[in-house]
Amino acid sequence: MASAQLLCRVEDIAEGEARGFGPLDGYRRKIVVLRRNGMLHAWLDACPHYPGGTPMAWKTDAYLNGEKTHLACHSHGALFDMESGECVLGPCLGQQLTRIALAISDEGEIFVAAAQEEKRA
Amino acid sequence: MNIIGPDYLVFGVDDLAASIEYLTAFGLKPVDVTDKGGLFEALDGSGIIVRHKSDPTLPPPLPTSNMLRQQVYGVRASEDLDAIEAELSKDRRVTRLADGSIETKDDHGFELKFQVTKRRELVMPAEKINAPGAPAQRKPNEIGVWEEMPAAPRMLSHVVLFVPDIEVATNFYCGRLGFVITDVLKGAGPFLRPKANDDHHTLFFIRTPDYMKGCEHLAFHMGGPTELMVAGTRFVKKGYQSFWGPGRHKFGSNWFWYFNSPLGCHFEYDADMDKHDDEWIAREAPMGAEASQIVLFEMREKWAPGGPPPGAKP
Repeated sequence: MASAQLLCRVEDIAEGEARGFGPLDGYRRKIVVLRRNGMLHAWLDACPHYPGGTPMAWKTDAYLNGEKTHLACHSHGALFDMESGECVLGPCLGQQLTRIALAISDEGEIFVAAAQEEKRA
Repeated sequence: MNIIGPDYLVFGVDDLAASIEYLTAFGLKPVDVTDKGGLFEALDGSGIIVRHKSDPTLPPPLPTSNMLRQQVYGVRASEDLDAIEAELSKDRRVTRLADGSIETKDDHGFELKFQVTKRRELVMPAEKINAPGAPAQRKPNEIGVWEEMPAAPRMLSHVVLFVPDIEVATNFYCGRLGFVITDVLKGAGPFLRPKANDDHHTLFFIRTPDYMKGCEHLAFHMGGPTELMVAGTRFVKKGYQSFWGPGRHKFGSNWFWYFNSPLGCHFEYDADMDKHDDEWIAREAPMGAEASQIVLFEMREKWAPGGPPPGAKP
């Protein structure tokens, strides 16, 4: 089994904020970790608009829209629900971001499992 | 109607501070920019006007979430404004402003403004190259690249619009405003140049659903492919996100490098675009990766051969 990879600590992601990590071994894109309503969510930094997925930030860690209400793709302004990953506006309306499972240690460290073979969109 | 091309593109954004940071880092010069936004100029004075989306001085928004508010076209002389006003007044309201410019809408509802161009004439050399068989463009001891070499956007080149109906858009810009189709990517749309500009395109359409109507990207001309790659590399090193490129398109032959932006569209550096006149016969190709580019690269961190093999004993 592939080993888990450390992203950061739980306190590194504040409420309503998002950060990008990687790309880690086995992943072709970064992983976006955000906190919404107290819960951590992680998504592959790959907008489903085009095959293969395209990176969504306009600058390092700049993943949210101006109002900080949605995860945004800064290619064409697509907006995604931060908790469900569903595109609510934009060219990929109704499609989903790829969720990345997180594991949190007793010490508050956030890990992802190393991808064995990531499915290509 | 001697339309030259876009003098300005006007945006109403949801994150003004981010947009001001971005436009400055892209290489545009803030002119009278305050915390309410303002104009960001290329070297010839063309550029981007950005304000917060709630700013009442902005033209009204599109019915979509796109942030483009207005395309401001430069024309040669006031007679050209009279001609545009006479033509478009036949079937829509055209407003004459105090400074002589005119405002109206195209057939998709995009806000338009026409003014006697405010572009300044540029007099500066293109990137120079040396090649066997041709006279050297750089003199002896004149070097081609250096770390701090300038690489600033020279001129607003083109805008690409998402439109739901290519025929409606083409009929308006060609039939009413005298644009010419230079090439067509079937499945996407046509490249257009206005009468008073010999660039391969200042306008391109991509067909999309109605709710996507807006600006897909805009581009600025650089002094050559080296400037394009230097500017793009510096931009990436500052943390900005490459979307596509660097590479070189087939139609138009222009080098390209596209970036994500907080203005809801891509920003492109372009360089070395083809020129055309009325003798040119438009080509057609199906939209796709092969038709889009002759070469495509992706930036990587600087690397050089050398050093010991990994795991070698010291």
